[in-house]
Amino acid sequence: MSATTTEPLSYLDNTGDDPTVRARLVVGDNDFHAVTNKVCGIVESPQPRLWWVAFAISSSLTLVLLAMIAYLVTTGIGVWGLMIPVGWGYAIVNFVFWVGIGHAGTLISAILFLLRQRWRTSINRFAEGMTIFAVVCAGVFPGIHVGRVWFAYWLAPIPNQMSMWPNFRSPLLWDVFAVGTYATVSLLFWYMGMIPDLAALRDRAKTKIRYYAYGLLALGWRSSNRHWHRFEFAYLLLAALATPLVLSVHSVVSFDFAVSIMPGWHTTIFPPYFVAGAIFSGFAMVVTLVIPVRRIYGLQEIITKRHLENMAKIMLATGTMVGFAYSTEFFIAWYSGNTYEAFTFMNRAFGPYAWAYWTMVTCNVLVPQVFWMKRFRTNTILLWIASVLINVGMWFERFVIVVSSLSRDYLPTSWGYYRPSIVDILTFVGSFGLFFTLFLLFVRFLPIVGMAEVKGVMPQAHLDRPGHRGHGDYHGDITGTEVLS
Amino acid sequence: MSSMNHHNGMAYWRSLDELEQTAEFREAVGREFPNDDWDRLPPATRRQFLKVMGASLALAGLTACRWPKEEIVPFAHRPEGRTPGVPQRFATSMEIDGVALGMLVTSFDGRPIKAEGNPLHPDSLGALSAVAQAEILQLYDPDRSRRLLLREGGQQYVKDWNEFESLAGGLFSGAGAAVLAGAFSSPTLGALRERFLTAHPEARWYEYEPISRDNEREGTRLVFGSMVRIHPHLGGAEVVACFDADPLFDHPAALRLVREFAAARNPESGTGGRLYVGESGFSLTGVRADHRVAVASSRVPALLAAVANSLVAEHGLELPAAAAGFAGATDHSATDDERHFVDLLAADLMTHRSRSVVLVGPRQAPAVHALAAVLNHALGATGSTITYTADPSPDRPSHLEAISDLARRIQDDEIETLLILGGNPAYDAPADLDFADLLAGVPVSIHLSLYDDETSKLCTWHLPASHSLESWGDGAAWDGTLSLRQPLIEPLYGGRSAIEVLAIAADDGPKSGYELVRESLSGRSGIPISGDFWRRALRDGVVGQSAWETVAPPTDPAGLASAVDGLRELLEVGRPTTEHPELVLVPDAKVFDGRFANNGWLQELPDAITKITWDNALLISPATARDIGVSDSEVASVEARGATLDLPVCVVPGMARNCAAVALGYGRAAAGQVGNGVGVDTYRFRTTAAPGILSGVAIRGTGRSYELATTQDHFAIDTIGFSERNLRVADLVRETSLDAYLENPEIIHEQEHHPPLISLWKDHEYEGEQWGMAIDLNACIGCNACIVACQAENNIPVVGRQQVLNQREMQWIRLDRYFKTAPGVTPDEVDDAEIVFQPMTCVQCENAPCEQVCPVAATQHTTDGLNAMVYNRCIGTRYCSNNCPYKVRRFNFFNYHKDLADTTKMQFNPDVTVRSRGVMEKCTFCVQRIEAVRIAARNDNRPIADGEIMPACAQTCPAEAITFGNLNDRSSDVSRSREEHRSYAALAELNIRPRTHYLARVNNPVDGMPSSVEGAGDHGKESG
Repeated sequence: MSATTTEPLSYLDNTGDDPTVRARLVVGDNDFHAVTNKVCGIVESPQPRLWWVAFAISSSLTLVLLAMIAYLVTTGIGVWGLMIPVGWGYAIVNFVFWVGIGHAGTLISAILFLLRQRWRTSINRFAEGMTIFAVVCAGVFPGIHVGRVWFAYWLAPIPNQMSMWPNFRSPLLWDVFAVGTYATVSLLFWYMGMIPDLAALRDRAKTKIRYYAYGLLALGWRSSNRHWHRFEFAYLLLAALATPLVLSVHSVVSFDFAVSIMPGWHTTIFPPYFVAGAIFSGFAMVVTLVIPVRRIYGLQEIITKRHLENMAKIMLATGTMVGFAYSTEFFIAWYSGNTYEAFTFMNRAFGPYAWAYWTMVTCNVLVPQVFWMKRFRTNTILLWIASVLINVGMWFERFVIVVSSLSRDYLPTSWGYYRPSIVDILTFVGSFGLFFTLFLLFVRFLPIVGMAEVKGVMPQAHLDRPGHRGHGDYHGDITGTEVLS
Repeated sequence: MSSMNHHNGMAYWRSLDELEQTAEFREAVGREFPNDDWDRLPPATRRQFLKVMGASLALAGLTACRWPKEEIVPFAHRPEGRTPGVPQRFATSMEIDGVALGMLVTSFDGRPIKAEGNPLHPDSLGALSAVAQAEILQLYDPDRSRRLLLREGGQQYVKDWNEFESLAGGLFSGAGAAVLAGAFSSPTLGALRERFLTAHPEARWYEYEPISRDNEREGTRLVFGSMVRIHPHLGGAEVVACFDADPLFDHPAALRLVREFAAARNPESGTGGRLYVGESGFSLTGVRADHRVAVASSRVPALLAAVANSLVAEHGLELPAAAAGFAGATDHSATDDERHFVDLLAADLMTHRSRSVVLVGPRQAPAVHALAAVLNHALGATGSTITYTADPSPDRPSHLEAISDLARRIQDDEIETLLILGGNPAYDAPADLDFADLLAGVPVSIHLSLYDDETSKLCTWHLPASHSLESWGDGAAWDGTLSLRQPLIEPLYGGRSAIEVLAIAADDGPKSGYELVRESLSGRSGIPISGDFWRRALRDGVVGQSAWETVAPPTDPAGLASAVDGLRELLEVGRPTTEHPELVLVPDAKVFDGRFANNGWLQELPDAITKITWDNALLISPATARDIGVSDSEVASVEARGATLDLPVCVVPGMARNCAAVALGYGRAAAGQVGNGVGVDTYRFRTTAAPGILSGVAIRGTGRSYELATTQDHFAIDTIGFSERNLRVADLVRETSLDAYLENPEIIHEQEHHPPLISLWKDHEYEGEQWGMAIDLNACIGCNACIVACQAENNIPVVGRQQVLNQREMQWIRLDRYFKTAPGVTPDEVDDAEIVFQPMTCVQCENAPCEQVCPVAATQHTTDGLNAMVYNRCIGTRYCSNNCPYKVRRFNFFNYHKDLADTTKMQFNPDVTVRSRGVMEKCTFCVQRIEAVRIAARNDNRPIADGEIMPACAQTCPAEAITFGNLNDRSSDVSRSREEHRSYAALAELNIRPRTHYLARVNNPVDGMPSSVEGAGDHGKESG
């Protein structure tokens, strides 16, 4: 077994396109125990030096975020660069950016699960974790961007002495519900899927603290048949519940803009366009994170090149959808005959914010086109660079939508040019600190690959036998599954 | 008690119990006088005695600490007619440059909080300018001087009034005494001047103002032999020709003139009032011109001479014989634009003889004023569109002569004691006099001033002046109407008024202003000072029928001859060139001559044309900027008359070619915390020889840039924004020509194309009132008075230059300024443009986009149709502002009230919430005023009358451009305004149904038929 890990890397290539041969989802000569050892080993053995360096940086940035929030709350929204035509700036851009990133996890775990895309098993835990952390980062911003933070709880429909309900006509309120629901379901989904793996960690624990901590989290999982039955059924139900949420959250977020009357915001294309963009950015972020992680922790056999390639294909598809949406917006701006709308789009492309617009187009439309070439899909360095650029582009997409539309609206006398303040920038950077801190803690303490699920798609699972449901439920003939060589 | 048992002689007792000393009695006494049982005190030991005495001494020491002395007057006897919490209004007046302006000041429990115009005052008619309204803020300025200072030998001593009084007696007796006062119209001050000069016959008296209408005075002397005061009347005028003149803004009677002009321009009822303006840079009058030509100020005489020439040569106008030379003095280098302007104007003046008027601005030389007076005379304007009264102080030398004479005498060491009553000559005297240096050398100089300012710091004595709202006084309106001034509050800082100080100097003993005013009033012949008269005069603020008699002066041939020569000299002047451009120094529209520099409301008030706040800038036209090689927001180095100053450039169309303008009144060094170091002190350019128009200056770019804090975009922006802005103006600010309008009254609606406007929601229903507003763009002249009125009424904070740069200004009303140029031109091709104004504030949409998006329901529709902002519910998501198509909501990015002085807080209107940080705010249609009237009406059980509710902006508008009222009442003014053909709503196509409608502007150019007014701003072209 140990001999297989020394195979040349080309052996790990399972990206063949021969449709007659089903590609292996876990490569190398791994059996169940090897998978468990590999994944649990990450949590059980001391972290590499790189982890500590990364953790030091990201936790420092988290402190920067907290300091910026403290300064903001004590001083006022004026510490940001906002002004009167542009009442929303970095905070809302960051919010939409992080919510968008938070889309990949649930998409992979819920929609791909229902569509029986077995390759999802290697990356779903990872992507779900990323989703949760992105939603946490997203959740920070609507809270702190209001002028009187101490009354932000008025957004929630809490019975109160004023007998006041929030205004249910306001899309911001829909946001509260949509993001709140999404965060709750994603968290449940993530945690529930993790229970068998947490039990595995518990069973391997060598210290009392680990034993009790993981034991508590494992909720008494004993891997009994009844447990598996309940587990898989619940998983299926949650997947069905989460699936519409993937589409609804970003649709509702887009309503913040689409329901308004601002040219550049008031657009019916926004819900699908936002969802496509969210999936696009979510996958880009998964790829950005997974490439270094699989390399550092030697997970190339479990998170294979085929996984990366699949994600690159999704990025190509969604990136093209986003590009199509950009051009549709322009077409409609012209075709509608609405001069305000037409000007907004001309202004985006050729006005003072043209630099942001063309950054967005380059990163989001042109960059993913390289994925037509297999080399870019399978070369991890190139793929990583492309995915980082896509993340940059998607941030700029939100910046262009939020800021450039507001900066020049109806009356030319109130036009303005928004510049972020240093506090804006440090808060944004700090949110990455929070994200990576949470992510590194996740890598340190929780199983980053769904072991139980991965084992279910390995050849050793004997999937040809009937009677499986849920994770290992294969319909049709899979006896052809063989090692590629 | 025990003592009772041991006294000798007769025993006195009050009851048998006492006599017997029963237990009941002892108990009763103990109850009545607890802790008073000295007998029960333990015998004092030495140690205890020392302890008690030590503590007593220590506590006694504490009483030596100073506690603020408060004079609390119990409100046991309420003054008659006064209900606590109900504001009262008092008539008073303020004086600028020797003209009294009447106002009504609202006082809340003894605190004056807002100044409005006095409807009975001839120069106010109920309106008040921005500057006059901001006086209230100056009253409470924490930087005002609070004590008398004596500066001697490099030391500074705090003195009190008694010390000054005891010293003052001997100061003015010698030959070297002099008084430098500002221009004044106060009869009391005039009487005191006589008393002072009688008491000290050798003393000299000077009057100096940096900004005055002395040239106009001198011009009338040339024509009529004696000085007269000119009173234009625009109400019946059909043609008004202004040469570098701004009668609608910088005239002392501007508020009246604006009202008359607005009435004349009404397309339904007015006389037309076609306006021709030839000027070097946009004035507010120039903005409203039907025909405007931009000429350098030094070329304005030539322009007027050309008109005179054309009138005489082509239209056969007869000038008085002595003035015939005027017609010969002509200029052949006129440009096509100028020639076109002259031809149109001359023909129009001739057609509308006696219903036309020619006005010349105060910076033009006396000979030009003389020519205008001759033309007015010849055209028959005298008595109809122009009247004259005798000058109130014909013997007064001009201000420049006065200050020059004083400076010469100081230089010759003739002045021993100089009393300066107000003013700030160390800052604003002509630069060539070096007045500041001279002043420092005067042995005893006494400066009475609101602030310890530049002049005070150079004087030996500084006396704190009382504010005009703290003191008794009087003054004369421009037409002579006697206006009284009464204090609204005790002097906050112990200051005294000019008359009180002059009374001391005149050895008249310290007298109160009240006594002095009453004395002088009773001294005036023909006015009996009975109790009734006094009470009525105080209530009205003016003494009725006290205006001066008009005169019809005959022309004076000798003077005319010298005027003709003077004009010939002016015509010799060549055109300014790129290498030697001309610089015009103009009084600032906000800080005036610099005296209001420490007023935050005024500093933050955007300039009407440039929208610059907190700065003065070198205004220059786009083509001139290109020729000279400077660009917008670049710092230019300007050299003139030996001084070199760095000034930021503001490129603005409509400036004459090779002509720059810059405002005076900035760059103060000792104005106070607000005004210090704001802008550049351009008085350093101003000399006695060239006080206003400087030819042959040098302007060079420095390559450095300086960001001007404007509340609106600059003229120069990127091409795509520029062309879109041009496209939108025509729809947002609609205008047409009078001829086209009369032919087709629906002309302004012809460009409307939108689908039927249907609401998604159920419409609100209104049973009682629903409020609405109409703003007549044809009346509005863009004077900014509404902005300050709103700021004072609604406790709107001043945010400072940096926050204006961040586009966070808080004023609820914007005065949107648009340049109109022919479609299709790029910013590089424009040198001149038309300007239109559009006052913009919350239009209280019926279908309000802000209401729908607020997640916490903090902005709500009221039952009377207002779009109310609930401050204490607002959490500050700013979504409402994002979704507001007019961007009229203002956000408290910081706590702007945190650092306010206690005195400044006294200005706050207690009926309006002071908003905290993180809260959105906006125009409320002055809901507090609506409610006050509603409550009064309900108490009287009557409906609210039309016009009874006046929002602050509508109340102060001199043009009466703003109408407010009940839309449910079909006969209300505002409902009728909506029925007018000119009525339209901005951005109506968004289906937000604004409650504020605009009435389109109607211009009155000569050839205003539809064929010539197609397209945006086309008809403005002939003036450019």
